[in-house]
Amino acid sequence: MIKLKHIEAIRNGDFTGLPISNTSTAVNMTGSWKFFRPTLKPKKSPCLEACPLHILIADYMQEFAAGNHLNALEILRENNPLPAVTGRVCPHFCQSACNRTDFDEAVLIGDIERALGDLGLTQPYSMESQECQEKAAIIGSGPAGLAAAVFLARSGVKVTIFEQSEAPGGLLRYGIPAYRLPRRILEKEIKNIVESYSIDLRCNHKIKSTDLDNLRKEYDAVIAAPGLTQSSIPETWPETPTVKGALELLAAISRDEPIPGQDFVIIGGGNAALDTARSLKRLGKTVQIIYRRTIDEMPAYPDEIIEAQSEGLLLREETVIEEIIDNGRDLSLNLHRSRKNGDRIEAGDFIETITTDFLIAATGQESSGDFLNCNPELLKAGDFAHGAASVAEALASGRKAAETTLRKFGRLPDDSITDQETQNLPPITFAALHLNYYSKKPALKIPQLDEQTRSDNFSEIHLGLSLEQLEIEAERCFHCGSCTTCGICWFFCPDVAIAINRESDNAESQILFDYDHCKGCGQCAEVCPRGVIEMEEDL
Amino acid sequence: MEKPAILLGSEAVAHGVKLCRPQVISAYPITPQTHIIETLSEMVDSGELKSQYIKVESEMSAIAAVLGSVSAGSRSFTASSSQGLAMMHEILHWYAGARLPLVLVNANRALGGPWNIWSDQSDSFSQRDTGWLQIYCETSQEALDTIIMAYKASEQLMLPIMVMIDGFILSHTMERLMIPTPKMVDDFLPPYKAPYQLDPENPLTFGAGAHPDLFYELKKAYSETMTEALTLIDQCQAEFAQKFNRHYDVIMHCQEGDKDSDTAVICCGAMTGTARVASEMLNENGTSVDLFKLRLLRPFPKTALITALKNKKRVIVLNRACSYGVGGTLSQEIRTALYDLPEHPIVNDVMISLGGKEVFPETIVKIVNDREQLSATEPNWL
Repeated sequence: MIKLKHIEAIRNGDFTGLPISNTSTAVNMTGSWKFFRPTLKPKKSPCLEACPLHILIADYMQEFAAGNHLNALEILRENNPLPAVTGRVCPHFCQSACNRTDFDEAVLIGDIERALGDLGLTQPYSMESQECQEKAAIIGSGPAGLAAAVFLARSGVKVTIFEQSEAPGGLLRYGIPAYRLPRRILEKEIKNIVESYSIDLRCNHKIKSTDLDNLRKEYDAVIAAPGLTQSSIPETWPETPTVKGALELLAAISRDEPIPGQDFVIIGGGNAALDTARSLKRLGKTVQIIYRRTIDEMPAYPDEIIEAQSEGLLLREETVIEEIIDNGRDLSLNLHRSRKNGDRIEAGDFIETITTDFLIAATGQESSGDFLNCNPELLKAGDFAHGAASVAEALASGRKAAETTLRKFGRLPDDSITDQETQNLPPITFAALHLNYYSKKPALKIPQLDEQTRSDNFSEIHLGLSLEQLEIEAERCFHCGSCTTCGICWFFCPDVAIAINRESDNAESQILFDYDHCKGCGQCAEVCPRGVIEMEEDL
Repeated sequence: MEKPAILLGSEAVAHGVKLCRPQVISAYPITPQTHIIETLSEMVDSGELKSQYIKVESEMSAIAAVLGSVSAGSRSFTASSSQGLAMMHEILHWYAGARLPLVLVNANRALGGPWNIWSDQSDSFSQRDTGWLQIYCETSQEALDTIIMAYKASEQLMLPIMVMIDGFILSHTMERLMIPTPKMVDDFLPPYKAPYQLDPENPLTFGAGAHPDLFYELKKAYSETMTEALTLIDQCQAEFAQKFNRHYDVIMHCQEGDKDSDTAVICCGAMTGTARVASEMLNENGTSVDLFKLRLLRPFPKTALITALKNKKRVIVLNRACSYGVGGTLSQEIRTALYDLPEHPIVNDVMISLGGKEVFPETIVKIVNDREQLSATEPNWL
């Protein structure tokens, strides 16, 4: 019998002819071949870019989807002091910019923010540094004032807020109806801020021009965020008790004051017009909105318009009031079709004359504290500083005023505005994403009260979903420009030159490139689903 | 008991593969091989074959995928043909050098250009030097049986084996054949147990850089294992014959001539069937020839060939593949082997078919009858 020594050896497991070694290939420094090196370059997501507060949405979505709700809340609060509020009232610029819109539907960022905000109602806010000597006074407890207070107090500044009304919140309380922002949510969120940061909140405390000098002496900084609390009433309108401003009416409704009259005509196309009309309707009044342009041109948030229409609100578009006749007890209004004359809108053909108990102006708003404007040194924030804008913009403005103040105190270096803000790179585009790694999935449907149920009360319309349900929604997030340690780069790296350290707290060190062995092929940058890895020349 | 069945050659191959229980199958479709993997994919889909079926985008990926799966310790299978096998070429070398077992079925087909999908052995003959064992089958039964034997040999040798069927002639024609029972095959072919495998718990380097002296030693061991393979294959075939009662040899004497017959005809693959009819016709008309078929091309069974042909004055080699500028590829192999004889027979190198050119019994009869006119040194084209 012929001896088959190799086959015998294979059978016995001691064959030495197999090209297998228990020595590592690491001795071969293949990294010296490369001309390019991969680097982790997180980028701005379009949602972050669109958000006035630059909230790190892609990052908190990651934590949220993983079930780490409190971590997500912490990231959200870094930039947004009032998430339970903005989750309800913000028009969500982020969602309009969401890259997912081009794929299927935008991620419901607002609803996730709202759920996190509600979770936060019982979670104290965290401090960033110890209490310091500096004291700041803030005039107004609307969104801008509250934001300024949070960002100052978080850095240890002792904050006092002076609020002229009997309760805090400003426009959030007296301007936004409870069906959009329930009072108990607003109150809890403000209370949480005030208690977490030991803010000295003084309600029923109006600051007059004569108080300013004393405030300056007593406090190291004063920020004025009194808001625009008064409706501007067109000069041509008669001064009569049957003509009112929308903001004044909304405030009265908010205070549960009795509202006399049955027929209301509201002029304007902004949120104030819609809020007033929908509130009055809930009180059983007969309401119509008259707007001089088309419904599509209304500055109010589109969702609000759709909801108002579904509630049966009468919206008369392209109509102007040519003449107001004061009948003493009521008013007669001559309505005309509007006509464009260049940029101006004039009265065209006569339509009809209607009679109404009250005519409400919702055409603009102004400050009730003009004296503050006179002081050029005064640091301003919110609508008072930049004119009427969204809650998110007011919060951003308050935060900016706080940062200016902290810089003045020397407690914030000049260039410390968050990286995202200074990063001038454009946000990551839809085209830069690797869509093969995502599957289509429609957004969740958010339940809301039907028109019947909500017609005569101020119950919140949007019902929201549970945190667990919304995790599924958060999983839809592309995390544009944000590394999720998904491991696709690790999988494709042909040189085993990528290590993933998911335990690391620091995003920068979660992906580790072994430059001694990376040959610079660029596959990792090519396959990254979120455009986070970039190749740099390495000569 | 074995069951009779009437199957296409490609289906017979699939049944042979199924009996060997591969854990991973990866292949890319190409005519005339496609039926093989289609049948296998249906078997996997229906659950009758428990296997991972990896869909790939090319033959290069198919062979690379099984290189991975076998490295991880699984028994695997792939199939290809013609351009597909050519596309695998780089990995065929690597695969063999990695000393991993595998059975690959190739349905022989011409390589373009010009475009041609018909039977031709140039695709596998041009992979002679990749280090793979090569076995050519005459019938679908032979293919089915060879696959079972090939897995057994491959795993003992730690070398890959390519099993050839002629495209269309076997792959697309029906044949009555016997399908062994799973138990018979399980008794013959134990599960594959890898001496080393990819294992995160026990990291090893597979196919890392080898310095020149080590490389040389590994290749020497490779060559020696190939020599041992001749004996092992004989043993496998003998054991198979005992268990399944079908006899195979590396070179088979298909038709015996008279005692004093001095002419042998030799070919490989399905053409042998035609040659059997031709040699019967010749013997009936008083021209006595011996017919041989070569099953094993690599390792080349030199001793068996010399033993078979030593008393012949003339050997007519029927080629389905050509090495242009030399002649029929099979002829070269046979000439080289016969060089060791003290007295060489005349070797007539006949290029009988390429690209599916039809071979009739009469074609072979005419070649043998006109043998005196054949060139003994140059290729003979019809």
